[in-house]
Amino acid sequence: MSKSYNPEQEFSRRTLMAGVGGGIVWAGLVARLFQLQILEGEKYDELANENHIKLELAPPRRGRILDRFGKPLASHRRAGRVTVIPEQLNDPAATIASIGSLIDLSDTQVTRVLEDIQRARRRRAAFLPVIVANELTYEDFARMNVHAVELPGVQVEMALTRSYPRGRDFAHVLGYVARASQDDLQRLTEGKTADEAETIDRMFRHPDMRTGRQGMERFAEEWLRGKPGFHKLVTNAAGRVIDQIPDDRLAPEPGKDLFVTIDMDLQRVAIERFEGESGAAVVLDVETGDVLAMVSTPAFDPNDFVNGISGHDYALLRDDTRAPLYPRAHGGVYPPGSTFKIVVATAALETGAIKPTDRVHCNGYYHFGNRTWHCWKHGGHGSMDLHSGIRGSCDVYFYEVARRTGAQAIADTARKFGFGEAWSLGMTGARGGLVPDPEWKLRARKEPWFEGETLNFGIGQGQLGVTPLQLALMTARVASDGAALKPTLIGLGPKDPDKHVLDAPLDPKVIELMQSGMYGVTSEAGGTALRSGDLGLGGPRMAGKSGTAQVRRISQAERDSGIRKGLNIERELRDHALFVAYAPADNPKYACAIVVEHGESGSGAAAPLARDILAYAIRTNSGRRPAWTQSASVVAPADDEEAPA
Amino acid sequence: MSRDGSFQGFSRGEARTRTATSLNFDASAGSVLGKLARLPWGFILLVVAMALIGIAMLYSSAHTNPAEQHLWKIQLIRFGVFFIVMLVLAVLPLSWWMNLSWVAYAGTIVLLVLTEVMGVTGGGAQRWLKIGPVAVQPSEFAKLAVTLALARYYHSMLGANGSRFLVHIGAAVIILVPSALVFMQPDLGTTLAIIASGGVVIFLAGLSGRIILGGGAAGIAAVWPVYQFVLEPYQRGRVDTFLAQLFGSSGASTSLGESYQIEQAKIAIGAGGLNGKGYLQGIQSQQDYVPEQHTDFILTVIAEEFGFLGATAILVGFAILLGWSLNTARQANSNFGRFAAAGATATVAFYVVFNVAMVVGLLPVVGMPLPLISYGGTAMLTAMSCFGLILSVYMHRDDKLNTAGLF
Repeated sequence: MSKSYNPEQEFSRRTLMAGVGGGIVWAGLVARLFQLQILEGEKYDELANENHIKLELAPPRRGRILDRFGKPLASHRRAGRVTVIPEQLNDPAATIASIGSLIDLSDTQVTRVLEDIQRARRRRAAFLPVIVANELTYEDFARMNVHAVELPGVQVEMALTRSYPRGRDFAHVLGYVARASQDDLQRLTEGKTADEAETIDRMFRHPDMRTGRQGMERFAEEWLRGKPGFHKLVTNAAGRVIDQIPDDRLAPEPGKDLFVTIDMDLQRVAIERFEGESGAAVVLDVETGDVLAMVSTPAFDPNDFVNGISGHDYALLRDDTRAPLYPRAHGGVYPPGSTFKIVVATAALETGAIKPTDRVHCNGYYHFGNRTWHCWKHGGHGSMDLHSGIRGSCDVYFYEVARRTGAQAIADTARKFGFGEAWSLGMTGARGGLVPDPEWKLRARKEPWFEGETLNFGIGQGQLGVTPLQLALMTARVASDGAALKPTLIGLGPKDPDKHVLDAPLDPKVIELMQSGMYGVTSEAGGTALRSGDLGLGGPRMAGKSGTAQVRRISQAERDSGIRKGLNIERELRDHALFVAYAPADNPKYACAIVVEHGESGSGAAAPLARDILAYAIRTNSGRRPAWTQSASVVAPADDEEAPA
Repeated sequence: MSRDGSFQGFSRGEARTRTATSLNFDASAGSVLGKLARLPWGFILLVVAMALIGIAMLYSSAHTNPAEQHLWKIQLIRFGVFFIVMLVLAVLPLSWWMNLSWVAYAGTIVLLVLTEVMGVTGGGAQRWLKIGPVAVQPSEFAKLAVTLALARYYHSMLGANGSRFLVHIGAAVIILVPSALVFMQPDLGTTLAIIASGGVVIFLAGLSGRIILGGGAAGIAAVWPVYQFVLEPYQRGRVDTFLAQLFGSSGASTSLGESYQIEQAKIAIGAGGLNGKGYLQGIQSQQDYVPEQHTDFILTVIAEEFGFLGATAILVGFAILLGWSLNTARQANSNFGRFAAAGATATVAFYVVFNVAMVVGLLPVVGMPLPLISYGGTAMLTAMSCFGLILSVYMHRDDKLNTAGLF
């Protein structure tokens, strides 16, 4: 400091000092910027990217289910829907009310949506969309689209929905998909590692994810599901998604398409042929065992279940007296009636209890013990041998044959044909029915077997219960000269769940006699279904066997199933009409079993259906080479389908 | 120009006056238009450029947010108004400034007291005073008022005989009274800014080196007691956060509160690299990751979108403005002019230093805007008034003002 204090000089000096000090501070700030931006820039750049890119689980597109020629039975459909982003709504109730003034929203829908919005807010997931309405009609979609701009937070979009283009036709074969419930999740994660279970759990929380709840959809769940991927989402600080970065490596792996052996058109023809009657029809390929048709009618529409069915609609289905939820073809248990005489005759011949030429006189009734059993034909058939006994379905002849053969032998043969065994083929709801024998009776009823029951057994009544699928198997077995046969419904897909095959030996000579008898039924004077024998194709005939089942037992079985309620008593008392057949009679290709519930007469109500269905199968060559053995081009998804966004 | 002051012929002012007279151009009594023509337009253009950059960055940071996307227009209008205010202040003769000094100081004290009594609470502190429809922050006016009062005080007192130490004590009182009132609001940032820029003025006035060293030691010794007993809990929290991130232990709490803001600011700045991501292309900036990025943290947007070069350019711009201002202070022919320009320079300088140091994580978050650039009316008014004062000193640097009388 100078000796003589001069404020002006001192100020100038100190100003320079201050300027230098300021320069040092400035240099420090620039150095810090250099450190952050140049030296550590890469680190912070990575942090910035991590900050805003979020991986969100992307659901895989579920595989389709195709018929044997590659036509889709379960696929995807683009459907318009309305969603809201909860965080963008000032007044959710008002917004939902505005939507309700544009499209039809039920009170329960409104309540559900408002609950969903509240839940999303509680879970701090208010930036994820909540679905307000699905399956918009074209008009609703257009109207919503126009007005959505006036409603902040409301989105109108197209989304992929599981779709069953054939509606009710395949309800009991395919089942349906639904949002995974707690029960579903427990089932799906059973036996998985903790990691797998966690992934499954996360995946099924996605609003677009569905799981097979019934039928083939459920059985082939893992085949159809595919593997989830991830969407790379760009989010802002609030977590709101503002963009999506495509990344093929993270794309979900779509599920595999599943081929079933069914011929979609044959199935349709069969259903139409029922003309509104309830019943079941199963058509098998005699050579391969392929199931070509699996009809249970009436049925429900699986499309109704995809987005959740309302309690009211479900109650309507459940309480319908015609039981649309009941899978008759593989889960309906009926007394086989006279169709079972094929089994009885086979058992008798194989055990040597009778010879084909043994004659029994039928005068309309049969005495045994202190009771009298009646033949269906008043006045009787006269003298019967094996061929005429089958042809005319003479009860008296089979009372005698059954008595001579014995219940145990009949039961054993029935099991060789596949009765008493549940054949799921990958569907849910399969039942085995019941093949009674003395041992079963002692165990289940704590009573010895009465020989009178053997007589009932001989004409397919009593405790005996079979499914239409089992009857079709029996018929196919006869048509194929007793060949080992494995019925299959899955053409290309997961392994068939059924362990057993129909390979227990059947004597071809015996089977030839059965074929002859069944040919007589449709084609010889005295045959019960003579009118239906000609397929109308200018030559080929069908061979078959009629049956009429008393309903007392079947209604018991139905009640046991817990599905039917409030049956119409008058209708209930009418007999079921059954018919099993194969064609062409001289070179069998197709075998079928028909049940027309309360159709009263097998030859009258069921045989014409069998005839028309088999004729259609022959005419269109239903059993021809299936798509999954041909080029892959058929397997490629159709153009209108896209991966779920 | 004489650096050591040894040239004793004319004072510098006299030399310029003679030159002007010889050119038949009356410097002191020219028309307003003439004065405007003689303004340092390079300096003014730089001020305008910086403000326009700020408005462009404000648009970038807020255009995706519906609630904020119109703010750049408000800021543009404000700047237009304050720009005119700056020019008006620039042509005010220094004698007017001198006469206004004590009035402004007294008025500010009154406003600060009123704020304490009936102010509006905002952001946890009682900083706002509503006068009719306008909400003002008297603490911002305090910066300018203290500057003027100090300049007025030293203008009369430096020439007088007597203990120079006592003169500086008087200056300290002028600084500390409003500082204490601001601190009670509480507004730690503004308090520090007033004390710092006031301190610079005292330093320029020739406070002895020994006292500066002693005061510095006392200040360091006071840090812990102040932290422990004077600071509000939220202020302590900021300091804690700052120390944590400065020493690298912030990883545990990067997503929470204050630390989140600093972390996100550092990420935004660092991600800019050398050249930046480009205008409107900043990942952090465009997605509202940095809280308050359109006000105090506007530099993060510049640093992310224009990189090290852009952020450095802003600092260089301020360096030019402040260097020129400091030189203006040196050129002034009156003590009032010197101290007023230096005080105003220091005020703006500390704004910049505190803001940038806070944004780059070298200082705790104290709530200090970047002058000219940050969104906000009061801070911009303060900065523009400071520049107006500096320009006025420049325009009237040759005026010799009467030193008699303190009031």
